[in-house]
Amino acid sequence: MARITRPDRLGDQLPALQFRAGLRLGIGLAALGLALAPPLVKVARSWPLRSAVSGESMRPLLRPGDWLLVDPEAYRARAPRASELVAVADPRDPSRWLVKRVAAVGEDGRLDLRGDDPERSTDSRTFGPVEPARVIGRPWARYWPPRRIGRIR
Amino acid sequence: MIRERVVAAIAPRHTVHAHCDIPCGIYDPSVAEYGARTVARMVELINQNLGDDLTQRNQFARCVAVKEQYAESVKHEIRVIWGDYFKPEHVEKYPQLHDLTWRIMKQAGKCKQTVDAQAAAELQALVKQFADIFWETKGGRPQA
Repeated sequence: MARITRPDRLGDQLPALQFRAGLRLGIGLAALGLALAPPLVKVARSWPLRSAVSGESMRPLLRPGDWLLVDPEAYRARAPRASELVAVADPRDPSRWLVKRVAAVGEDGRLDLRGDDPERSTDSRTFGPVEPARVIGRPWARYWPPRRIGRIR
Repeated sequence: MIRERVVAAIAPRHTVHAHCDIPCGIYDPSVAEYGARTVARMVELINQNLGDDLTQRNQFARCVAVKEQYAESVKHEIRVIWGDYFKPEHVEKYPQLHDLTWRIMKQAGKCKQTVDAQAAAELQALVKQFADIFWETKGGRPQA
């Protein structure tokens, strides 16, 4: 008598299904981890440099009272380029940090900084081009206020 | 309680200044517009042929003095906004700015030298053009 196989019964396939589901879950979690790991690392290293915006010169992008994450590693591997945001030590008073945008990079590598609202900004037009060594990091995300959380550039 | 502790934990540790040395919003071309209106009004009064008695002559002299004073005030106010407020970006966007300022200086001088309603009207028109540019850079004239 031939053995009757009943492949249609769920019970027989359960271990295989469980295994596959587990595998999928594992792969999914790993993918999620891979996707989130770089931002999380970036958040973690930016966290100690979290900064509040003061002043109007970066309107409309940044408003006074915005809370930003500043990545200290962003410009270690390469210098800032034109149109990128930078946090720099004020050449006139290094204890004071400024947030501005790189308008241009000079041939000597110094940064020509501008506010986004040049009419209400004191920047390289006043204090001249800035040494790249004065760069503190790259403001790359706003984490407060909640309605405007997100990347900035 | 919890909320305060959360806020304290995530609060920024630094300040980044998006700063501006000059306190903003202290410039206003209205003073120059008012000055140009005063000049026009004085021209009007002087042209009303005041009589020859002492009081009328005194009145006449006062009108001339006020005309002189306000024409000078127009020049001063316009010069300050032109020299201190406007930046190269503005001149790029409004290339007529330098010429307009220069014409206002000339026109105010002409209003001092003459008793000419036409000249006074022209001064008012030029100052208005200047004020319009100023308010455009400010994103619009405030509603009075």
